[in-house]
Order: sequence, then structure tokens, then C-alpha cells
Amino acid sequence: MPNITFILPDGKEQGCTARDGLSLMEVALQNAVPGIIAECNGSAACATCHIVVDDALAPMLDPISEHESDMLDFTAAPRAPGSRLSCQIKVDGRVDGATIRIPAEV
Amino acid sequence: MGVQAAIEETSSAVPVISDVTFAELSIDPYPTFKRARELAAIVRIAAANIMIATRYEDIMAMERDAETFSSVNPQSLVNKVMGHTMMRKDGEAHARERKAVEPALRPGAVKSCWAPKLEAIFDDVMAGFETNGEADLFTTLAAPMAGRALAEVLGFLDVDWQTMALWSQSLIDGAGNYSSDSEISRKAAEAARGVEQAIDRALAYHRENPNMSVLSSMIHADDPHTLDQIYANIKVAVGGGLNEPRDSILTLVLGLLENPDQLERVKADPNLWPVAFEESVRWISPIGMYPRRVTRDVIFSGVQLRAGDQVGLCVGAANRDASRFQDPDRFDVFREKKSHLAFGAGPHFCAGTWVARHMVGRLVVPRLFERLKNLRLRDRADVRIQGWVFRGPTTLPVVWDV
Repeated sequence: MPNITFILPDGKEQGCTARDGLSLMEVALQNAVPGIIAECNGSAACATCHIVVDDALAPMLDPISEHESDMLDFTAAPRAPGSRLSCQIKVDGRVDGATIRIPAEV
Repeated sequence: MGVQAAIEETSSAVPVISDVTFAELSIDPYPTFKRARELAAIVRIAAANIMIATRYEDIMAMERDAETFSSVNPQSLVNKVMGHTMMRKDGEAHARERKAVEPALRPGAVKSCWAPKLEAIFDDVMAGFETNGEADLFTTLAAPMAGRALAEVLGFLDVDWQTMALWSQSLIDGAGNYSSDSEISRKAAEAARGVEQAIDRALAYHRENPNMSVLSSMIHADDPHTLDQIYANIKVAVGGGLNEPRDSILTLVLGLLENPDQLERVKADPNLWPVAFEESVRWISPIGMYPRRVTRDVIFSGVQLRAGDQVGLCVGAANRDASRFQDPDRFDVFREKKSHLAFGAGPHFCAGTWVARHMVGRLVVPRLFERLKNLRLRDRADVRIQGWVFRGPTTLPVVWDV
């Protein structure tokens, strides 16, 4: 199972293993990662599961859809390069060893 | 967590609350919700002949398990009144239709397209009464604003707000017509026909002129709606898209007028308006309850449920769950920030959320307080708040300086 490290809004790190096929949002909820609220449970409708992936991982992931991109313009923490909705990223080999930042709200 | 934790080995029958009348529920459901929350995960309310879930964590768990707690219900009155709407579908069937309406309702569409149009409607509505010095904000502001906004966003070309309000109420009444009252059925059928005819009149325009409206999005989507899907889903939007902004406008105004200290702080820091809006729909959730159908025998949070059972997910109760919200009955813009269930959760998360947030929390209520000087309640005793499946102020008499 892929290993993922979440960097929390306060800067602390939280490591966990993730089952293939889940979304990163579901992994975050299972591990009670602070800052991932996921009001709409993965429908890309609420913009409350915002993460920032690093430069190495970003181009490996499936591209951002128009809908996800629109939502990312309205997240509580401002959009950054590498911003994604964690509900739109499935766990597979690509995210093994990844460091995923949970951005702090301003 | 979630369903795994909620489904336990021990079980008991569903307890019943039988000493509360329907009228009492409508006047003030919160004491009954509190009793239900403390009694069990699922409680039957005898007066309404319905089982309800009232705890925040339980409803979240149910919303994360659509296989067990399904939106599909072939017998539902909603389907009878409105047709096969996406609100009563799950999984891929729901997702396909939802995707076709999304472009019209995204936050980006709200900002670039709807914000200026809503502002023009608001200015026009305000011009009708702002020099009067007194008004019932239900009839002068909230109902026309919500009705005209909905017609605009849906893409109706020629429907006034009074007709929108009539159709909306008739469809809602029809969807809740459990006693098969023939007059209610007749009015619902008439409203359904009216909506279909309004759609028929508008479709040619939207075909020729692609735009941001819901109707246009439905027909120009990669996977476009059929005419029956358009009819059904627009009816759902008419039934479920008018009360909520209307009621939340009034609830937010009421919450702030009853708490002048909070009003002053919000006026001093406009960034707090969106927070105040979220608190208003937590405090009095416009949609208090919606149904799910149990698909298999299951012990849920200690209560035995059977396949075919209907459970009302009482988000109006969950949003006052004291285990999540401290002093939950109090309107408090400054409470610890936590997500609520006023827009639902899961795949059916309110599609109009972003329009509502903008219209109510950034436009109508902030501007109202700007434009009406020294706005205050005429008399708190004259304010009426009603309902439990749908709940909101039904009259809000105010005065201001002119």
C-alpha cells in the first residue's frame, strides 16, 4: 500500500498508508487529517478538501478538469501552484511516498 | 470511522416519540429533536409517522454510504409529482445528470455571470420599498428576490416571481401529500404543467444562444439531458431552489437583529458576512429533513433497520447537535468554525450552494444593512418562524429610518 505524508496546516507531519483505489480525500478522512472537511464527500462540489502537491508529483497526476479548476479558485486557502481537490485524486503507485500539504486558511 | 463504527452488534427496536403533535413540531421542532438525539440514533415520530436520524455523526455516516441509505425510491411522491429527478437517483445515473447542470452553478459562474444579474434584481427589488420606512421583509424582499433569482439562473424568460413562488409551493406540497389530498394533487399537477410550458417556451432561445443558465447547460452538455430529464430536474430546482435562499435571507437578518453586538462586529469586518451566512443556515436550516431508503437489513448505531424502511435525515436537528456545536440553539457568528449539514453531504450536496452563498451572504443581507439605516425589528412578538421539514421565518416585520 502506498505511503503518504500529510503536512498539516500547523507544519506538523502525519504519515499514513493508503489503500489503492481510495481518493486522497478518503485517506485523509480515515486518518482524521485536520483541514480536510469534505462536506460533499467527493462530488467536487464544496471545495473543502483542498491540498497542495509538490512540483514532482503535480505533472504525474491526471490533469485538472475545468470543474475542479473552477472550484480551486474558491477554496478557503488561496490557490497555489500544485493546488488540487483531494477527492479528485485516486491512490495508486504515483502517490507512493508523496508529501501532500494541507494549506492553512488565511 | 463512519459506517463501520456506526454499525454495531447490539440492537434494539426503534423508539417512538408519541406525545408531540404535528403542530408542535411545526412551531418549534428543536425540543423534540433534542429528545430524539438523546433517545437513539433513529427515532419514530408518531405524529408524522416517520423515522428520523438526528445526530450529526450518524447522518454523515449515512450520507457516506449511499448503498445502504439510497436516494432511489420508485414509490416516492417526488417522482410522482416531478418525474424521475436526479434527486432520487444514485451513482452514475445521478452523476451524469448532475454534471450537465454543474457549469451553470459553479462558483466561477456565480462570480462572472450571476453576480451582476443578481445585483440588478436586488436593486430593483429594493427600489420598490426602501423609502417606506417599514416592511415585512418576507413579501417585500426575500420572496421576490429568491423567485426572480431562481427564474434568472434556471433560464426562464417570462415567469414572474409570484408564479415561481406558487409553482414552488405547489410542488413542495405535492411532494409531501401523504394523505393524497386531491386539491393538493391538482395544484401540484397544474404547477408541473406550468413549469413544462415555461421550459417549452424557453428552449428554442437557449438552443440558439448558449449561455450560463441551467437550461442552457442541460441542453449543451457533452451528455445532454433528454426533455423528460429537463422537465424533472427543473421541477426539482423550482421546488427546492426558492425557499432556501428566501428563508436564509430572513434567518440571517433575524439572527443579526436579535444580536446587535454581533451585527456591529460583522458590519465592521465585511469578511465576516460569509461566516454569518453559514451560521444562519446552521442555526435554522431551511431544509430541515430529507429522506433516504434503507436497502438492506442493518443494525445502525444500535438500532435495527429493515430493507425498505424510510429514514428522514434531520439535518435541522444535526446542526444543533450539542456534541458538535457548543450552545447549539444560540445564533453565534463567532462560534468555533465547523462544517454543518445545511447543504446536505455526499453526492446530493446542494447544487445551488454557491449561488446561495453569494446571493444571501455577500449581496442581499450586507447591502440591506447598508441601505436601510437603523434597521430594527418592529416587534419581536410579530416574527413568525414555521416548519420542520422546511423551516424559516414566514413574516419579518421591520422598521428603519427614512
